[in-house]
Amino acid sequence: MSYSHRGECSISGIGATDFSRKSGRSVVALASEAATRAIADAGLERSDIDGLVRSDYDAVQHNDLAYALGMDNISYWGATGVGGAAPCGMVAQAVAAIVSGQATNVLVYRALNGRSGLRFGRGTAMQQAAGAPRLGGGGSYDEYFLPYGLLAPGQMFALIAQRHMYEFGTTSDDLGRIAVAVRQRANSNPAAMMYERPMTMDDYRQSRVISSPLRLFDYCLESDGACAVVVTSTERARDAPKAPAVIRAVAQSGSPDVQGGKTFPALMRPTITTYPSKYAADRLYARAGLGPADIDVAQIYDCFTITVLLELEDYGFCAKGEGGPFASSGALDPGGSLPINTAGGNLSEAYIHGMNHVLEGVRQIRGESVNQVAGASTCLVTSGIPPMTSALILAEQ
Amino acid sequence: MADQVPRPLPMTEDEDTSGYWQAASEGRLVVQECLSCHAVLHLPKPFCHHCESWDVGWREVSGDGTVFSWTVVEHQVHAAFPVPYTIVLVELVDAPGARLIGHLDGAPELTVGQPLRVRFVEPEPGVTVPTWELVS
Repeated sequence: MSYSHRGECSISGIGATDFSRKSGRSVVALASEAATRAIADAGLERSDIDGLVRSDYDAVQHNDLAYALGMDNISYWGATGVGGAAPCGMVAQAVAAIVSGQATNVLVYRALNGRSGLRFGRGTAMQQAAGAPRLGGGGSYDEYFLPYGLLAPGQMFALIAQRHMYEFGTTSDDLGRIAVAVRQRANSNPAAMMYERPMTMDDYRQSRVISSPLRLFDYCLESDGACAVVVTSTERARDAPKAPAVIRAVAQSGSPDVQGGKTFPALMRPTITTYPSKYAADRLYARAGLGPADIDVAQIYDCFTITVLLELEDYGFCAKGEGGPFASSGALDPGGSLPINTAGGNLSEAYIHGMNHVLEGVRQIRGESVNQVAGASTCLVTSGIPPMTSALILAEQ
Repeated sequence: MADQVPRPLPMTEDEDTSGYWQAASEGRLVVQECLSCHAVLHLPKPFCHHCESWDVGWREVSGDGTVFSWTVVEHQVHAAFPVPYTIVLVELVDAPGARLIGHLDGAPELTVGQPLRVRFVEPEPGVTVPTWELVS
């Protein structure tokens, strides 16, 4: 017997807070606001929600949100990660819960004070371990990295970018084209932190080096905010106020050369220029019955510009090593062949850890994005890449 | 080292990685290997997925490495690591595929494949940290 979730579930509601550098609110308050907006957008009541899925990095536990919103009907909950790898996998868990009959309407959320609270850019392990005499152990493998000053994800992705440049001749300008293309989208999105804040290639080239070869504008933002979606059966979603964004397929994937820990151990893989995204792509396209040529618009996880470049290759939009020339061809620019991160992504909308990418995917399928791609009927959404990853494809009914 | 804030010290007592730090304290660089099929298991772990053996140990390697990649950190993240400094991803010459991290002061000119040599430093009595320096 074979099972398929293809098209069985849809996203019927989306909700977000505003995005800022200092929310002045608790993380549970942010999650609650995004959740109530998503539930209202789906045309549901809080008591209709019987499932909750969160990121393993989220400070808001499932019962925290149930308590905050007085949800008295929760019968399924789950979490996935690591960190930014979560959002599409969170939707995948919701789909699994619904098609297996364990839940009916699942709320999926990500909330963080990522600028005013714990800042990933400052190195989470060092902040969380403040005052501890020794770092690492317990399967983290941090003892192999932190004593040398490898502290933050951007430093790791700088090592990866440098290696990609060595192997394939990728240039800093190639990365700059990604930063500028995504920024242009944010410039016309009133919800984006970089709304009406343009950035040119010259601005990019003149921006300060953070960790070579990566510059300031190769880095995502650090943000306070929350995003949430409601996942339900496509049949039920047809009764919602908005057209269903059908979840054509979901996939989580590791890779044959998997490593433990959170982020840095991925540097120990035989290659550091191909990611679990390659394996997620194979699974996702097979489950969807679609290929990269069928994708009208993509929301590609962008903690750094190099992350986008790697995924362009791994998801088959260009050959391995060709991500740089592909970006520099103008393919990603407004009017190009592959519109990406149409709300501004992590780079320029807000760093809601990739959950904002899921919301923008839904807007594209509904036809309500501020940077609507004409006739978009399919949207690829991807999540963070180093340890294991996840992705999904949304489609019109 | 003129750091005002001491650098973080590694946890050396972890069940799966303590052998690495014990060897370092004896001036030896080791990687974990399966004692049955002799596959290198890096980062260290208690089970060999190649031959299903739990019999794992440590293989001493020469301490010669090459630059696999590097980054010059110019934005300071932590007071223990004043900028600029260089993080090097080091590939071990006699355990191909196994890599370790190195820290070089400043921003030396580097190329992929450039040779490095391990050196053992003792930032605090009882803790020895393998570090890497350029072979001139």
